[in-house]
Amino acid sequence: MRRRPTRSALVLAGVAVAVFLFCTVDTMRSAVERATQKSAGETALIVYRQNRFCPFTSQLPQSYENAIGKIPGVASVTPVKIVVSNCRASLDVVTFRGVPPQEFAATHSGSASAQDMQSWLSRGDSALIGRELAQRRRLKAGDRFTAAGVDAFVAGIIESDLPQDQSSAFVHLAFLQEQAKRGGTGGVVTQFDVRVKDPAQMDAVAQAIDERFAKDQSPTTTRAETAHVARAATDVIVLVGFAQALGIAALVAVFALVANAIVLSMRSREKEISVLQTLGFRGVHLATLVLLEALMLGGVGGLIGASASYAVVALARTAMTMEGVSIAIAPSLVIAFIGVAIAIALSVLAGIVPAIIAARQTIVAGFRS
Amino acid sequence: MQTTNASTDPHGQRDIIVCKNLEKHYSRGGETVRVLESINLTLQRGAFVALMGPSGSGKTTLLNLFAGIDRPTAGVLHVDGQDLTQLSRAQLAQWRATSVGYVFQLYHLVPVLTAYENVELPLYLHDISRAERHARVSEALESVGIADRHGHYPRQLSGGQEQRVAIARAIVTRPALLLADEPTGDLDRVAAASIMQLLSRLHRERGQTIVMVTHDSSTATHAQRLVHLDKGQLVEDVAVRA
Repeated sequence: MRRRPTRSALVLAGVAVAVFLFCTVDTMRSAVERATQKSAGETALIVYRQNRFCPFTSQLPQSYENAIGKIPGVASVTPVKIVVSNCRASLDVVTFRGVPPQEFAATHSGSASAQDMQSWLSRGDSALIGRELAQRRRLKAGDRFTAAGVDAFVAGIIESDLPQDQSSAFVHLAFLQEQAKRGGTGGVVTQFDVRVKDPAQMDAVAQAIDERFAKDQSPTTTRAETAHVARAATDVIVLVGFAQALGIAALVAVFALVANAIVLSMRSREKEISVLQTLGFRGVHLATLVLLEALMLGGVGGLIGASASYAVVALARTAMTMEGVSIAIAPSLVIAFIGVAIAIALSVLAGIVPAIIAARQTIVAGFRS
Repeated sequence: MQTTNASTDPHGQRDIIVCKNLEKHYSRGGETVRVLESINLTLQRGAFVALMGPSGSGKTTLLNLFAGIDRPTAGVLHVDGQDLTQLSRAQLAQWRATSVGYVFQLYHLVPVLTAYENVELPLYLHDISRAERHARVSEALESVGIADRHGHYPRQLSGGQEQRVAIARAIVTRPALLLADEPTGDLDRVAAASIMQLLSRLHRERGQTIVMVTHDSSTATHAQRLVHLDKGQLVEDVAVRA
């Protein structure tokens, strides 16, 4: 690396960019996977208006709440009014979720401090906002903010592992309905968040809810929350899948870059290899030197790329939001580690053939080169 | 490795190189090139020998065979008690690390290592402590008069200084045999004379066996024995001084 600093720096930069791309894309893939893959203990259902795919068009009577609550297997029902600042897929969408204050306070008592929760309950225009949203918009308790025509007071920050909660602003249902009245949607909610008692009953409860309103003026489609997110994020999933192919292509580029660098390096050092052999260095020593050089290129380049990806994702704090559904993109040390490990593995792989060539080189031929 | 019985001359001095009917052929374009033919030569331990001859006479090839960096096509070759024709590639490398020091015409120092690190390089193949390594490198640099430049990189040294470092690298393992291929071939007259004085001193003070290839008769005057090659054959072998 000290021998040809410019070439080494260019190779390191190439490896770093490729690993950066891979890690960033894989972070997005991981976020989508986390938000859309059903887990064994999942109990959350989303009741949406049948054949509607956007919070602006999904309108359900709030009166469904009682009927859903009576269906066997349902643990709780929360009517939710969603207002978004942008209905399309975007990285900075504010999702307002109008919820009944007392019910929400009961089910989310541990999610916010007692002081923040009390502040939120006592003030009609207040919002509890998710950690991701607060960081993205640099909001703190006591601030006011406006989005989607809704002006709200920040009562506090809500902590939650659920991606949907992290990018949302929870406001009083009546307040949000009032704010949205211009569209004639007062008394109407976007969806119902339903919790079932037993994860094994998810499908049965969903079917019962949809059958209950099948003949009603507002028929429903009920899905597991992860399935609901997956449906809303279909386009994003396709895009992330394509981006993942690009990420893999970037890793192939790492292999090609390092292989090219090592081959060039070996060609210019055939005499030096012969000198080392003359001094008594054996094939295994020379092969090890070549592999160490490849490892250094892949390791350092990979470390730079993975670190940069981690830092960018951590600082950006973005969330992919589409149709009111949010997928938070969070930095992952595991993915950074995997990125570095793959870069090292590919680099060592790229160095194997040059290492064998170096080990088998005859001394006299090396001096003649 | 199998060790053979080296022969002993009438004065009790052990032979360090014994070659009988030594041949080296290359195949080039389907044609066999006979670089060395029926070389019979015995060199004593502690000798300072110059291999001389015109370009293409086979002197560097013979030196390479002595160093174990090339293999003979036929014949017997014992160096420092070792039958080199019987050693595997790895055994030969191990033997080189302990028995031979080689000085190249173009120095061939590793450009990204300092003078100290270049000299230290062959010692990594020896099972010695760091302190011992340091002591040996310091001693080698001191003995070639380049200790004050130990931290310099090859590009910061003159040709004569680079060759001194290369000689230090060759002797740091305390080899039985020091081989030099045109050690002054790339140096001006003053630097060349200085390097030859250094090699003479190493021979005189340490009893170092030296086999040197040269086509320069003035350089060869430092040697005790002159071996002339021509067209791959040994044509003259004379002792010029005791």
